[in-house]
Amino acid sequence: MPVRVLAPAALLTMVAVAQIALSRHADLTPWKGGGFGMFSTLDHGAFRGVSVIVDGPERSETLEIPPSLEVLAARAANAPDQWLLRRLADGVAAREARYGRPVTRVTVHVWKTSFARDTLHATEHRLRTFVRESHPSVRDPSSGPGR
Amino acid sequence: MSLTRPSAILRPVPAVDARRSSWLRAAACGPAVLLPLRLTAIALLLRPTGEWFVRPAILGIAAVMLVWPRALRLPILWLAIALLLGVRIAADWPLADNHIYLLGYWTLAVALALTSASAAGTLAASSRALLALAFAFAVLWKALLAPDFVDGRFFRVTLLTDPRFGDAAMLVGGLTPEQLAADRQALAPLPEGAVMLDPPAVIEPPRFRAFARVATWGVLLIEGLVALAMLLPSTTVVVAARHVSVLAFCLVSYAFAPVAGFGWLLLVMGAAQIRTSGSGLRLLYLVAFLTVLFYAEVPWAALLLDALG
Repeated sequence: MPVRVLAPAALLTMVAVAQIALSRHADLTPWKGGGFGMFSTLDHGAFRGVSVIVDGPERSETLEIPPSLEVLAARAANAPDQWLLRRLADGVAAREARYGRPVTRVTVHVWKTSFARDTLHATEHRLRTFVRESHPSVRDPSSGPGR
Repeated sequence: MSLTRPSAILRPVPAVDARRSSWLRAAACGPAVLLPLRLTAIALLLRPTGEWFVRPAILGIAAVMLVWPRALRLPILWLAIALLLGVRIAADWPLADNHIYLLGYWTLAVALALTSASAAGTLAASSRALLALAFAFAVLWKALLAPDFVDGRFFRVTLLTDPRFGDAAMLVGGLTPEQLAADRQALAPLPEGAVMLDPPAVIEPPRFRAFARVATWGVLLIEGLVALAMLLPSTTVVVAARHVSVLAFCLVSYAFAPVAGFGWLLLVMGAAQIRTSGSGLRLLYLVAFLTVLFYAEVPWAALLLDALG
């Protein structure tokens, strides 16, 4: 097969194989990532979600994802890897700091919905949890380590 | 010309220049290549992709390609689109849909084909390889990797919960609007560990279950046929099967699936495999392309439901 034909085909294969590996081992949704798993499973963005809990001095609340963080939250829901969860948590902490609300901890949960084979009844399952600890400093919200 | 230095003609520089210029030189193309290229440019304009830092450039190049025929045959412009699509995919990974990846591979294949001695032959071979792989991976996911496709859960839940399939669920599946609304409520997820004492049952009339079953196995069958037809060696029957399966897949699937961009791309890649000089098959692909446009822009299922009362 000529290189001009082989190159795009090889690229497709490499990306699709990597996508399968990420989907199996890193909870990447089969719908995304270039592996052609769309319309094959209910494990996709519409049935995944992210919840964010913010803790600070004398407060602990579940945060509604603001529009400015919606893309980051969608990325984290579809591929709940550490670096994307950390970026979301950092974004939340930075936003809280902008509004003058000290944060000591940001907890990000990623969950997905499963449907029973016969009854189709739906249940939520937690996929990943990420906790970002930080000092209650308003000025330097991204200094704390995540785990 | 200096007599003390070797002649420029004898130096290897011209070969390098020739290779470089092949990216900047408009390839000689017949209708076998021009139709798929034009349709690709149209598809790029119909469904703009990416954020502000790539979208204007992709749209601009596609527009120039349509008004200036020479640009359509310039490999460098197709390579630029492929690279821009790569940037678009990386920028918000993993949110890009699969057809954006396929569009990236396809535009790269076009760029490479236009630098080759036989653009039509190279493009046809690339199209066949890409379609074979894309459909083979799609079948792999549905048949083996996904836990909820073959048992029918995927279509049962999707037809009930995805608003884009609501009209089809009522029109073909025979659900009433009230049943559909009740089902959507019944399918609302419970938090982890929670159990309802008397959970509401999901209403699935036999006609709906049959629709979900036909969709499940029909999609798997036709995707498998496309993959197989692309993988088998070319004979008259296999070549015909390739066109029939791609056209059938697009005309049936995209009546319901809300991803016209994917349908157009598959049709473009199918059209790139037409090696006969006759225009009948090309016309068929063009009609299919317009039909997918019709599916995307006309709420035909809702209109039909209204008409049926």
